[in-house]
Amino acid sequence: MTQAMRIDGGMVDRSRTLSFSWNGRWMTGYHGDTLASALLANGERLVGRSFKYHRPRGIFASGSEEPNALVQLREGAAQEPNTRATTIELFEGLNAASQNHRGPLAFDLMAANDLLSPFLSAGFYYKTFMWPKAFWERLYEPLIRASAGLGRLPMQPDPDVYDHGFLHCDLLVIGAGPTGLSAALAAARSGLRVILADEDFVPGGRLNAETHEVDEQSGADWAAAVTAELAASDNARLMTRTTVYGAFDHGIYGALERRTDHLADAGGKPRQVLWRIYTRRALLSAGATERSMAFGNNDRPGVMLAGAVRTYVNRFGVAPGRKVAVFTNNDDGLRTAEDLGEKGIEVAAVIDARKGDFVMDTIGRSGIRAVRLGDGRRVEADCLAVSGGWSPNVHLTCHHRGRPVWDADVVGFVPGGELPSGMSVAGAANGTMTLAAAIREGHGAAVGIAGDLGAERSPGTPAKAADESFAAAPFWQVAGLRKRAWVDLQNDVTTKDVRQSHQEGFRSVEHLKRYTTLGMATDQGRTANVLGLALMADAAGKSIEETGTTIFRPPYTPVAIGAFAGRARGKHFRPHRLTPSHKWAEENGADFVEAGMWLRAQWFKRPGEKGWRDSVDREASRVRKSVGICDVTTLGKIDIQGRDAAEFLNRVYANAFLKLPVGKVRYGLMLREDGICYDDGTTARLSESHFVMTTTTANAVLVFRNLEFARQCLWPDLDVHLISTTDGWAQFAVAGPKSRALLSKVVDDLDLSNDAFPFMACAECSVFGGTPARLFRISFSGELAYEIAVPARYGDSMMRALMKAGEEFDAVPYGTEALGVLRIEKGHVAGNEITGQTTARMLGLRGMVSRSKDAIGLKLSERDAMNEDDGMRLAGFRPVDRSVILTAGAHFLNPGDSADMAHDQGWMTSVAYSPELGMSVGLGFLKRGTDRIGETIRAYSPVRDQDVIVEVCSPHHVDPDGVRQRG
Amino acid sequence: MDEISLEAAPVLGGASLELSGNRIVERDDLAIVSIATPLGGEDALTEALRNEWPLDVPEPTRSSLSGEVRAVRTAPDQMMLIFPHATPDAEAVVQERLGGTGYTTDQTDGWIVLEVAGPDTLSALERICPLDLPSFEIGGTGRTVMEHMGAMAVRTGEDAFLLLSASSSAASFLHAVETSYRYVT
Repeated sequence: MTQAMRIDGGMVDRSRTLSFSWNGRWMTGYHGDTLASALLANGERLVGRSFKYHRPRGIFASGSEEPNALVQLREGAAQEPNTRATTIELFEGLNAASQNHRGPLAFDLMAANDLLSPFLSAGFYYKTFMWPKAFWERLYEPLIRASAGLGRLPMQPDPDVYDHGFLHCDLLVIGAGPTGLSAALAAARSGLRVILADEDFVPGGRLNAETHEVDEQSGADWAAAVTAELAASDNARLMTRTTVYGAFDHGIYGALERRTDHLADAGGKPRQVLWRIYTRRALLSAGATERSMAFGNNDRPGVMLAGAVRTYVNRFGVAPGRKVAVFTNNDDGLRTAEDLGEKGIEVAAVIDARKGDFVMDTIGRSGIRAVRLGDGRRVEADCLAVSGGWSPNVHLTCHHRGRPVWDADVVGFVPGGELPSGMSVAGAANGTMTLAAAIREGHGAAVGIAGDLGAERSPGTPAKAADESFAAAPFWQVAGLRKRAWVDLQNDVTTKDVRQSHQEGFRSVEHLKRYTTLGMATDQGRTANVLGLALMADAAGKSIEETGTTIFRPPYTPVAIGAFAGRARGKHFRPHRLTPSHKWAEENGADFVEAGMWLRAQWFKRPGEKGWRDSVDREASRVRKSVGICDVTTLGKIDIQGRDAAEFLNRVYANAFLKLPVGKVRYGLMLREDGICYDDGTTARLSESHFVMTTTTANAVLVFRNLEFARQCLWPDLDVHLISTTDGWAQFAVAGPKSRALLSKVVDDLDLSNDAFPFMACAECSVFGGTPARLFRISFSGELAYEIAVPARYGDSMMRALMKAGEEFDAVPYGTEALGVLRIEKGHVAGNEITGQTTARMLGLRGMVSRSKDAIGLKLSERDAMNEDDGMRLAGFRPVDRSVILTAGAHFLNPGDSADMAHDQGWMTSVAYSPELGMSVGLGFLKRGTDRIGETIRAYSPVRDQDVIVEVCSPHHVDPDGVRQRG
Repeated sequence: MDEISLEAAPVLGGASLELSGNRIVERDDLAIVSIATPLGGEDALTEALRNEWPLDVPEPTRSSLSGEVRAVRTAPDQMMLIFPHATPDAEAVVQERLGGTGYTTDQTDGWIVLEVAGPDTLSALERICPLDLPSFEIGGTGRTVMEHMGAMAVRTGEDAFLLLSASSSAASFLHAVETSYRYVT
């Protein structure tokens, strides 16, 4: 086929022929074509099947409002369903296929649905598929799912890449038609930073589709000249192929730029970029969308919006038909006949509804052959250009719930209510429907904004153009309609469905939408909504104004999920934080676990170990018997300095800190304002005015933020300063009876004897002959233990050196699992216990909550409910049958009680297998737990189908008197 | 243990990339020391900075420069000195010159510093940086979040910036910056 419908003229580049495949057949088009214009040039009128009735459908529009021509684009994993042929730029090798049919497009087996249409009217699925109940999931749902939707996903990961970005400007102009170009030009000349965005690949909007003149040149030439000036301007950014899809808070707009969709090969670059645009002001100049009228069989291929007919003829040099009839209710539609005549295309008839003429029905099967008029006449035509008037594109004005208002002169809804802050509207989107007025309005809006923002350069004068006549009359549906007439082509909503919705009581516009699906799916009813509302108003005997309208939310046009994800996929879903010993750990068999963004070694596998338990048991045992080394860099570290630093700490910790001596560390507990514990850690005093706080890994940021709030807002009179040093120091726990011997080989010139450096001592020192370090004698394992820190740049070297120095003690590296085993054995609380719902009293830390000072959370921790004697208390648990492995999350029950919430006695928070004790041990909260040591109760876990008898014991399973850590 | 001594290693191994005429370089030769202004001690600190370097206390969103020493305003009552210095005693060196007029904390190891430069720099950074970098004057600074990572940007030239982010996520940060250049060049 050789582009039989191609005619002279247009903006396509005839020197660049492009080949493309449509349903497996190769065709040609030109550079500058859309897939839709190329298909029409090749005489393809039937391009798809409708959603519900599988009716033959053709290209109806020429832009993103297209309801019918949805195609499956590209092949393999890169396939994209439901792309609009009218917005796809033709490229060499493009591959597209029609969708929503079984069997060939021309002989869709599902077309039988059309015969069943009396049973498939609005809401049919609410009234059917009700019995038998057994069929709901097994038959009906698969059946409905198989029928629903339009295109098909490839069911493979998307091979394309996407990106995000951030832009800033003074003025965002949305839409590069005559209004937008005029506004952007004036704003750029004024010196504003302007972004002009348009979804088309050629700026100009309707100027490229009409034969208007602007500034004594063709509209398209004027658009090209303005585009060139903007492109050369330092302060203007022209973004074609970019749809501003949403207006968000604080002057932020979302925009989708299609970067490589028009290329056969993206070359590894992002296919689409999702922009967040920060702008001081926005001007919506999105134009208007033409709509149809309701007459019999108004959905056949060949029925096309009149504006689209002019677009194909004038911009693309394509004749949508050989004999075209025009059916209009406004002067705009009449121009179609003139333009067709200019191009030598036969105009079969001009049917003007304002004169009482109308189309009653169309005749044909897979495309129209003729139309039947209201007076019975038959007019032969293979294309019917319809104009039912233009609806301003008010969508973005609704994104903050502005509600459009009916304008009887425009015969459409214009922006109303409260617009997004900083947004103004001009041109056809504002109901200014003629060219010269739109250009002036765009210019004027930009001049006003430039003045508001203090721009000082001259904006120039608006371009000169003539105002075409625009006389629209409301005409919605033909009288005496006997055939089905479509309102919403994409969702197969007919006039009958709208009437039925009214009859069945779904009369609010919102109910109409949900009941009939009018205005849903990819086109969001751009060509259908107003017609639907008009028919509803008619059925209700009300005015359109009284009936009202639904409003719009983002996105204006569909946005691929991949674009929202951007780069955040696979291993780059989130950044990773690595500890200084990460490389060493990788080399030494570490298995890593994600802890927030951190990757932490959870155990180090050694040859012969069959599972993680082997590794963890070995590591925990070695720590208790000799010495182990664990990278604890991930704990939050906050440097706190100032004359009032001690007073500050005394106010943020529940326990006393004012008199902590220099060279000492103290365990501290932090409460929220409501008295609940939220974090614990240690704080070391390095000098009178210098402290180093550690927090849990998970709460490092939260604690820092809370401290900064306290510093800046609660007590600005205190001289105290905070800065995070978490990443600055590589910190290692060195734990076990041999830890002192090991560190004696490491630390320079510091007496580590128990007298000179006792439990909870700290010092600034040096290691390995001069590298600065900090040493803390603290213990999470309950063993004699230290934490030693060096500047992070030495972290990798330090880990290797510690292991080398520890060889003679058979030192082991240990991971977070062994860390967990050791702390559970010792009865130290962690995130499983400090859950944000537990009090100091529950945790057995009531003694830490000072009564002799005020600090955050102290007052509310005294509430009665938090201090009841029969409340939950931390306790230890051991299985009576020592071979049983306990499970965390189990609930405690008294023997003989039924397993329900009324008899719930508490729950197991943490469990571990203790190699030291040779059994599984647990921690948990039990009602009056501290008074019940020695009792036996049930630990019941219906989730894991476990019901075991456990013995209540002290939470300190190992070394309850703390002899080891003080040794 | 005289036979063992520790070696300093740059976080990214001294990364240096050339991407279509643009450069990304890990500046592992720079030390960073934060200086907090004691309550009521603004004048003394200002004077010490002027006398010793001489440096002005930078205004919010600005940095000041004296030779190769740059002071960057980072928070209320807080700035960072960024300067070439190899040994792990930068904090002591700065504190000695300040003579107790400011609270100092060594931040060298907490941050990765990437120097990015080249004609596509602004285009690349607009993919990850929410700040309005084109409007920055030379010397302008800002704190933000890029690809979920806290970051700081200092404009050092028409198309050159210092980017600072946490050292623990340095590899992810470099990947983010590098990917941005690759996507736009």
